[in-house]
Amino acid sequence: MSKTMRFQFRKGPEVRFLSHLDLVRAMERAVRRAGLPMAYSEGFSPRPIMSYSFALPVGVLSEAEYADFRLTEELEPAEFMELFNRHLPPGFRVLQAAHLPQGAPSLMSGINAALWKLHLPVAAREEIQERWRRLQAEDSFVVERQTKKGTRQVDLLPLVYGLPAVLETGDAVEVHCLAALGSEANLRVEELALLLGFNPAEALVTRMGQFKKEGSHYRPPLGNRGFTWTES
Amino acid sequence: MDQRLVPLLPLVTKPARYTNHEVNAQHKEWSEDRVKMALAFPDIYDVGMGHLGFKILYAIINGRSDALAERVYAPWVDMQKLMEERGIPLTSLESGRDLASFDLVGFTLQHELSYTNILKMLDLAGIPRRTSARDEGDPLVLAGGPCAFNVEPLADFLDFVVLGEGEEVIHEILDLVKEKKQQGISRKEILRELARVPGVYVPSFYQPIYAGGTFQRIEPLYPDLPAQIDKRVAPDLGALPFPEEFVVPFAEVVHDRTMVEILRGCTRGCRFCQAGMIYRPVRERDPELLKEQVAKIVASTGYDEISLSSLSSGDYTQIRSLVKDLIDAYQGCGVSVSLPSLRLDSFAVELAQDIQKARKTGLTFAPEAGTQRLRDVINKNVSDQDLKEVVQAAFQAGWHRIKLYFMIGLPTETEEDLDGIADLAHKVLSWGREFRTSRKRPEVTVSVSSFVPKPHTPFQWVGQDSLELLTSKQNYLMERLRHPGIQFSLHQVEHSFLEAVFSRGDRRLGAALERAVDLGCQFDSWGDQLRFDLWLQAFKDTGIDAVHYAQRDIDPAEALPWSHLSPGVDAEFLLREWNLARQGVPTADCRWDLCSRCGVCFNYPVANRLVEASRGE
Ligand code: SF4
Repeated sequence: MSKTMRFQFRKGPEVRFLSHLDLVRAMERAVRRAGLPMAYSEGFSPRPIMSYSFALPVGVLSEAEYADFRLTEELEPAEFMELFNRHLPPGFRVLQAAHLPQGAPSLMSGINAALWKLHLPVAAREEIQERWRRLQAEDSFVVERQTKKGTRQVDLLPLVYGLPAVLETGDAVEVHCLAALGSEANLRVEELALLLGFNPAEALVTRMGQFKKEGSHYRPPLGNRGFTWTES
Repeated sequence: MDQRLVPLLPLVTKPARYTNHEVNAQHKEWSEDRVKMALAFPDIYDVGMGHLGFKILYAIINGRSDALAERVYAPWVDMQKLMEERGIPLTSLESGRDLASFDLVGFTLQHELSYTNILKMLDLAGIPRRTSARDEGDPLVLAGGPCAFNVEPLADFLDFVVLGEGEEVIHEILDLVKEKKQQGISRKEILRELARVPGVYVPSFYQPIYAGGTFQRIEPLYPDLPAQIDKRVAPDLGALPFPEEFVVPFAEVVHDRTMVEILRGCTRGCRFCQAGMIYRPVRERDPELLKEQVAKIVASTGYDEISLSSLSSGDYTQIRSLVKDLIDAYQGCGVSVSLPSLRLDSFAVELAQDIQKARKTGLTFAPEAGTQRLRDVINKNVSDQDLKEVVQAAFQAGWHRIKLYFMIGLPTETEEDLDGIADLAHKVLSWGREFRTSRKRPEVTVSVSSFVPKPHTPFQWVGQDSLELLTSKQNYLMERLRHPGIQFSLHQVEHSFLEAVFSRGDRRLGAALERAVDLGCQFDSWGDQLRFDLWLQAFKDTGIDAVHYAQRDIDPAEALPWSHLSPGVDAEFLLREWNLARQGVPTADCRWDLCSRCGVCFNYPVANRLVEASRGE
């Protein structure tokens, strides 16, 4: 049996404003409080060996964050969940866990797409749908992206894989959007805002899923076998 | 937290400062019969969360079923602006209630440069700044901490002040406030009662008398009040409660680690050092008790670092064995041990070697002065030979980076002493080249602060150098230290000046402080926020001669505005020390040598209490 535990966790409203670094620190501390049998790195200041899926922007919620923890002892996933959940700060919750088979791809290489849910309190459903129809007819939607190396022109259109749902919920609109995620191709949340024309400060954004997209098939790094979806 | 802040969070830097839900935060029910106290730190969350004193009080107050404590910090300028625009008042972190709805709002006075923030926080909370303007519905605003020993510049803004250690007196305060609240007694009468509690000072019941612009004396308004307020001090730290659960912040904050206080007080007797005077005598905690505390805090927080804190941790009698035991116990799970205040003269290189973490960060020594002569004046009992040996040992043991702390503008300083600083830095560098075992090039960082005369120290009478003189001394050193391998860091002279003004200030400074806040001064200790121009204007507008407060030599025959606030150290001792300083005669540490009759052990039922001694009892 492998000693790496892969798990999916929630980042709820209580911890929405933590940066990725804050999150990692909070996890390390929860690990120690829980007394999990973690493997530690070598060196002057040993750290528990853990890796995470792509960092979530500050202010964004998630139902599908993933982490791999390297353990020194075998632990049943159920036991792991029970123990770790007891020591996680409010707002974090492990939703499922499983042993990672030897040789399985890392989180980083096993993910290239995300499903975002945008809760837009001001937008109208038809407007969003109309805008999306018009955008699809365009050749490109080029914006400037600030990177560490300077500004770069990026076409956002190929980075959006589709809007599987645009729903009306009371006085808000909920948009579900599949988009590129990762080091090769990536759509940022604020770019999605530019594209769909909403104010990112007013939207409540949730990452609903992270997937390996192969053609039209989307497979999560853990658990069910995923789904197939193509934008019509 | 206050839900009104949620929409603002995406708009500010480091929003995690303002959210709560931290592990171990106490959310006690806001019931009618509980005394509610806000622990207000006059700086941002990132700075205030590391303050051990508030952790102790938070645990004590929340440990009582009839009381609750919540935390509040100064919002950073971006958040403040948004709050003011939208009319959102300052609220506590836990329940998000208005500060004004607490029974007690307690500030800690860590340094003078935080005073503007206190007024600003009161403004943001909608609590009248001045004691005289508050009425029955307003909270009682109190303060404690080192600056309480000259709290006069804040006298008009604080309803009461606690001198000395808070662990015991806080119970007396809560009991009294609870009882009076139930009886529906007026605020004035509660204050009358509080003024009789030992260690509690109610400034509005004391009247300063001036003649010809000079402070003469301060008189109690009621005959039953003491002329002098004595500090609170506990004979045995082992009897004091210590928090076993620290609130674990999400955001990155200073001193974010397990902290235990291994000893309190310091009797080395550095003559510029206020902490060394006001926290006397020395009281060490039992190592077994400390290990228990560490175990509980590590388990409840998950912190990866244990810090053994005190004014001078190397002085702890059983430091070697304590460090060793902790390292043995925690190394395996990635928890390190750190000693934040190691002194050159008490320093054992082996001790630092035990602590692997120190290897990365470099070692810090504080010779404070550049020549033996001046070190004798300030009673920093370190010889050139000591310094040489210890620095050599450090390089031999594999360190390559040494940090040296110095002070300029010390009494009797001459150019020779400045040269001494530069020479020492160069010498350390050359010892590094000679003795290093590390492959890295030796590096020396010289950090230079300016002397600030502090109340209740032997140097309280000595004027600070002018800003121009301090600047020219800094420039002189900068020139002499321009050398590869030497880095130079400075304290802003404007900071030191304001510290001196307020540390030796009297009640009249309150007007200038208020004016400065009106003009927009706050976060004065932040280099990029200090508005010295506005400060100068505030002094001018209120007719305060700030230079007079900071820079004049005070005749020891003169009355001092802080002499009624007693840390237990006698004025005669301070004067004796000042005279010895001028003769360059050092005074020994009473822990290991003769009692130098500072007075504290005669004025209180206390004595130096070292762990080995207490074992033999
Ligand atoms: S009274 Fe004597 S023994 Fe006590 S702290 Fe002062 S100098 Fe030391």
